[in-house]
Amino acid sequence: MEKDSFLDTNVIFNYSTYNEQSKEIVKKCYLYIYNKTEKFIVCGAVLEELQEIMVKRARIHKIVIKKIADQNYSFEEDHLISKRDIPFAKQLYERLKNLRLEEASLELAKERDLSKIMIEKFLSVQIDEKVIPIEQIQTELINKIHNIISNHADCKILASALQLQRERELFLFVTADGKDLDPNSYDFLKDQFELNYPNEKYKFPELLNLMFVC
Amino acid sequence: MVIRKTTKQIKEEILSCLNEGPLSIEQVRIKVESNWSTVNNYLEDLSKDGKVKEIISADKAKIYQRIFGDTYFDIPITDEERKKFRTLFSLIIQEYKTRGKIPTKTCFAKCAVHVIKNESSGLSDLPIIWYLYGLIPQMIADPAKEYQEEISLEHKTKIKNLILEFINKNEKKGSGQIQKEQHREYSEKLYILADEFFEVLNKKEWKNEEVLEILNKFFIACPIDNEFPEIFDLTETVLSIIRKMTLIKIELQNYRKEILLTFDSLWKLIALYKLYKSKTTGKNALNKEMLLKFYLGSTLESRRMTLKETILELNSVYFNNLANFDQNQIKLSKDVQEIRKIMEDWTGED
Repeated sequence: MEKDSFLDTNVIFNYSTYNEQSKEIVKKCYLYIYNKTEKFIVCGAVLEELQEIMVKRARIHKIVIKKIADQNYSFEEDHLISKRDIPFAKQLYERLKNLRLEEASLELAKERDLSKIMIEKFLSVQIDEKVIPIEQIQTELINKIHNIISNHADCKILASALQLQRERELFLFVTADGKDLDPNSYDFLKDQFELNYPNEKYKFPELLNLMFVC
Repeated sequence: MVIRKTTKQIKEEILSCLNEGPLSIEQVRIKVESNWSTVNNYLEDLSKDGKVKEIISADKAKIYQRIFGDTYFDIPITDEERKKFRTLFSLIIQEYKTRGKIPTKTCFAKCAVHVIKNESSGLSDLPIIWYLYGLIPQMIADPAKEYQEEISLEHKTKIKNLILEFINKNEKKGSGQIQKEQHREYSEKLYILADEFFEVLNKKEWKNEEVLEILNKFFIACPIDNEFPEIFDLTETVLSIIRKMTLIKIELQNYRKEILLTFDSLWKLIALYKLYKSKTTGKNALNKEMLLKFYLGSTLESRRMTLKETILELNSVYFNNLANFDQNQIKLSKDVQEIRKIMEDWTGED
């Protein structure tokens, strides 16, 4: 029997932005969901992160519109988007600056809305289980993981997966994260966790990183 | 010889020191140079009389606020400003009365703003604010109240001429029209678009395209403020649900009530934010923390909650229709594809 899939945020987000021109990893995420075989599971931390991503994307789009409306406006002066987002905002601005303001706003809105529709339909139709609401994630466990990997959002999702794995048959932790959760880093995390906390009874789910699957 | 203050004197002093903003019993005690229990007892008396209210209560750390009930959210104005407002209101009412009329609340407020905004009136220091229906005096202009000329205004003749000018210009117009014209006069895009949107919502028949066009402009005009990011975030949430409803082929017309209620709640929140901005920028700006803590905070919170409830209602309409929608029906435009290409490596991580 195939294993159930505990989905990371990036898999669902990539799925939502798929089109025929998408790069390989986005296609892989789309196909993974499209060709579903066993149960899909999401946790509260993933749902929360998806919401945050939607908010951040809308803010990026908004400041692009702000720049089209006022060329003197500088992306750097805005504190509502992170420094990492600025290059994306700049590229979007370059691509859209010659459109009418209303037209540019409409196209950006369409992009956001279509991606949201994909996510929301996926969550309401294809998800079999929503587990571990945010308030039930064990803070202590998050901190233990945080001592090994830096991204706090990843820590919350992993902590949720570990909590769930305690009471379940082995499932897959499905991600498209090429940085903190590549197979080597995941093995390192497991080893370190066992070393640091030898008495903990946590079992790690099996990693399926779509970045590293042919 | 020590002159003992009378009860009346102490109470007046207490009220006077609360004019500038809320204070703790200890702060009042220091200002009126009295002891803690006397001040505490008098504040309790004044509270029973409806002249002050306790806004924070924690054993000895009680904080009292003066109640006038004549300004929006009881945000303080000085006695001098109060007298000037009342005198101006009195002059306006008098002019209407000579024509055998009583102004509507909107006409009354807009006429006062017309005078205040004109520098030659000598009243341009009076505080005015942007709120639900546009620019209004911070002191509530109530046509049912009796106002007296409490002070002699230096430019009374000029003021009377400005009042006449306003009345003559607007005599035959309804409140709604006067209000909309004011929004245009000050080029307040968000207010102009809210007017247009409510107008469309009140039509017998709606066209999805017409609704979307205004909402798109509303998105463009919506402020994105580091201090109040939720104004933009919640606006986007509302607009996005309506846009998604049209994308999945819902006739907005069929959900008139839900859309109207949600937009109305959103507008009430935005208007409160505009009021906050009016009072924290420009001349006579108030302390932001104090304004939120003592005057606007609880209303802001309740409006936020109301909006979230109406969003839930509207969202349920969208979700009920989403399950049967085939997303493959949607064709991506070239622009959307290119936007996606650019954002492909964006992960949303900080």
